[in-house]
Amino acid sequence: MAKTILVVDDSASLRQVVSIALKGAGYDVIEACDGKDALGKLDGSKIHLIISDVNMPNMDGITFVTEAKKKAEYKFTPVIMLTTEAGEDKKQAGQAAGAKAWVVKPFQPAQMLTAVSKLVLP
Amino acid sequence: MNLDEALKTFIIESRELLEQMEDALLRIEQAEHDPEIINAIFRAAHTIKGSAGLFGLEYIVAFTHVAESVLDKVRSNELQIESELVALLLTARDHIGALVDHAAQGEEPGEDSHQHSRKLIEQLNIYLGHKHAAPTAVAGTLVEQSHKVEREKGEGVETDNWHISLRFGTDVLRNGMDPLSFIRYLNTFGKTINVVTMVETVPPLSQLDPESCYLGFEISFQTDADKAAIEGAFEFVRDDCQIRIMPPHSKVAEYVDMIRDLPEKEMRLGEILVQCGTLTAVELEQALRRQAQSESSAKRPLGEALLEQKVVSPAVVNAALEKQKQVKDSKTAENSLIRVDADKLDQLINLIGELTIASAGTALVAQRAGISELQEAASTLSRLVEEVRDCALTLRMVQIGATFNRFQRVVRDVSKELGKDIELVISGAETELDKTVVEKIGDPLTHLVRNSMDHGIEPADVRIANGKPAKGTLHLNAFHDSGSIVIEVSDDGGGLKKDKILKKAIERGLVPADASLSDKEIFNLIFEAGFSTADVVSNLSGRGVGMDVVRRNITALRGSIDLDSEEGRGTTIRIRLPLTLAIIDGFLVGVGKSSFVIPLDLVVECIELSDEDRRAANERNYLSLRGQVLPYMRLRDMFDVSGEPVRRENVVVVQYGGTRAGLVVDTLQGEFQTVIKPLGRIFSNVNGIGGSTILGSGEVALILDVPRLVQQVSAQVEKNGLEVA
Amino acid sequence: MSTQDKSQEAGAHFAIEGDLTIYRAAELKELVFSRIDNASAIEIDLSKVAEIDSAGLQLLIAAKLEAMIRDKQLHFVGHSKPVQEVFDLCDLGGFFGDQIVIFPHTVH
Repeated sequence: MAKTILVVDDSASLRQVVSIALKGAGYDVIEACDGKDALGKLDGSKIHLIISDVNMPNMDGITFVTEAKKKAEYKFTPVIMLTTEAGEDKKQAGQAAGAKAWVVKPFQPAQMLTAVSKLVLP
Repeated sequence: MNLDEALKTFIIESRELLEQMEDALLRIEQAEHDPEIINAIFRAAHTIKGSAGLFGLEYIVAFTHVAESVLDKVRSNELQIESELVALLLTARDHIGALVDHAAQGEEPGEDSHQHSRKLIEQLNIYLGHKHAAPTAVAGTLVEQSHKVEREKGEGVETDNWHISLRFGTDVLRNGMDPLSFIRYLNTFGKTINVVTMVETVPPLSQLDPESCYLGFEISFQTDADKAAIEGAFEFVRDDCQIRIMPPHSKVAEYVDMIRDLPEKEMRLGEILVQCGTLTAVELEQALRRQAQSESSAKRPLGEALLEQKVVSPAVVNAALEKQKQVKDSKTAENSLIRVDADKLDQLINLIGELTIASAGTALVAQRAGISELQEAASTLSRLVEEVRDCALTLRMVQIGATFNRFQRVVRDVSKELGKDIELVISGAETELDKTVVEKIGDPLTHLVRNSMDHGIEPADVRIANGKPAKGTLHLNAFHDSGSIVIEVSDDGGGLKKDKILKKAIERGLVPADASLSDKEIFNLIFEAGFSTADVVSNLSGRGVGMDVVRRNITALRGSIDLDSEEGRGTTIRIRLPLTLAIIDGFLVGVGKSSFVIPLDLVVECIELSDEDRRAANERNYLSLRGQVLPYMRLRDMFDVSGEPVRRENVVVVQYGGTRAGLVVDTLQGEFQTVIKPLGRIFSNVNGIGGSTILGSGEVALILDVPRLVQQVSAQVEKNGLEVA
Repeated sequence: MSTQDKSQEAGAHFAIEGDLTIYRAAELKELVFSRIDNASAIEIDLSKVAEIDSAGLQLLIAAKLEAMIRDKQLHFVGHSKPVQEVFDLCDLGGFFGDQIVIFPHTVH
């Protein structure tokens, strides 16, 4: 059974590339364009990993993760946050929200695959 | 992987974002710094950069990164948005658009476009206050080399495998991390030859918190990858896990270190290492013998023996090992230390602070009452309170040695990373200071050490060419000096280059071009915000914290930092910190109706202001102290105290960090112990005041920030020169 | 979804079904503990465990330890493929001391 990953980013092209890479490696991918959209897609079905940007319109990544972790089905879902090197304070807020893994933007698709496979292998 | 479709999406999306960015930039000036608009601009640049990276469009990433950095500063209010900046950002936006067009046509931008990038980056950098340097790649090849060196050294253990020791933190599972996934990941670039699961760290079911993590693993691992790659596997749990990675053929001594640091019983660990095939029985014996010889007396208590006997299969350990174990057990020293909650200590110190004030109050009342018996009793009380206070403060004192020793590891790892051979020499490890200070000094110290190794100590070839030993030396030293602790970080590297620093400082507008500065002032420019001397920003001390942050951290601890350097010979950075943050011995002085407290450690002597000096005061800004020049300042003028000065004024001579100055006051009221109360926020900008305190009489006295005052006085003298009449 | 039960006189046999993961760790701890508490010999069928993670593994270790210190018999039987994979990865077959039967996997 393939593992399912939720990819949340306001950049459609980023989602597309990440999605192609992940699907190529054997994961199932669900995409969402911001925190609010993503929250709506957490319908109780199993998600093995969340990849989320921090700075997004409507609902930012940290609020999204905080909300997601309040749901029993996603309380322990690992989260990879996407960040820029400038975001040290954001990082702390994210850590507090339960996002312990960070990948610095910009990244290559292969780097993302490596980070993902440390947490969940397909 | 076919990315054409995605690239199209990227182009469309980038153009949309650039449009939004333009709109927002045009609106921003009217919108009076609306954070939502600024964030939208930032996000546009941020998103373009992030996505461009995915397509390997380095020219877009590099340029957009600089624009993003400027926007980040605007967002965090470090930069004010004004029309000039808006104009520049609009030009930058247009340029990003042009770069995206190149990407759309699938062609690399030409030389003119690169030139335009460089020009704009230069302009943007002015706002960043530093020269942009591309982050250099992690020195992977260096790491590789150093392993080879290590392998050649011999005296290592036999196995060709790496050994990985893992103890996961309690919250790992709650954070969504699965320790098993990391082990599985190891198998994607190597093979776990043996895995020993540390079952004895797991409690029986009745005591198990099912969401806490108790797992630990000892793994022997075969791979061609380097240490960085193995470490990388654990990057997401690095902060809350104990991870040790030993290269193949590590020295027996390194295993001894590892065994000593892990929480389990040494014998059991030894067995596991044998079980993993990491150590042979002979090597284990050797390790345990060393361990017994080492003077470290911090042995851990034996525990869980019952459990362990049932769990552990009878080990293949020979009689010789059994004997070693017995020898060791009998040596286990009895522990005479008790652990105390730091909060309890803080509470005690606080109470003693209040007690000190109350006792001072009693003494004052006794004095006024004029009853000699009462005065005597009060003075006995004061003396005892003082002793209790000193005693209580020593409870919080810890030796700095433990902090220093942590740097052995840092120096070892960093020198490997840098490919430099650097030795750490530690002295003054027994010097004591307040625990809270120790806790806060770690980060700035780490930065200084890394900085010295990175920028201070030259590569071996340069050193040899300059007639120095190839091995660099880094020295950490600590000592007490007039109520402060001084911590020195010195290296025998290339020293600071004065002209280079001055040139950069002028470039950055930190000092006027025609400034004439002393050597020391020039050196201290590196602590100014936005100053970085390195031409190449390495991954160690590159982005992130600069020396200005180090200085800010030290200042926040009521300390100061300065630096001596000799070109070609090395650099010494000196941090001066108060021994404790809570209580000071003060010297009480009066000006008009106000009282001020001067930290007693900084008072050198008190003299009367001579008539001659008083008369000369209008003509010159210094006093003559036994023929020596002494710059001075009138507290009455400084703090605008109303009323006429008394007929006979006094001078308190203070000294800080090698500089003396005189403070002119009305009256001297004597020594006084006091608890420092922080000033409210509205006073945070008042120059020269470090805190306040309550006098026994209930009045408030201000505690002078002597370092600041001394600095101010001497700055004035340097600016105007000594106006000799 | 979770368990099936077949009580025996002095012992208990039951199965853990579905996920043996952090999400159910608290619930399964209570269940397994009550069984150990009430019987002197316990057999837990793992053949229907669909997914197991570190929390699940840790729970099994803790259960085994609990039984050991209380001198009770605890055996795991019918290890499903995911369980086998984890036991192999961590080399824990010896610790649990149970016979692991490698079933030929049914192809549908």
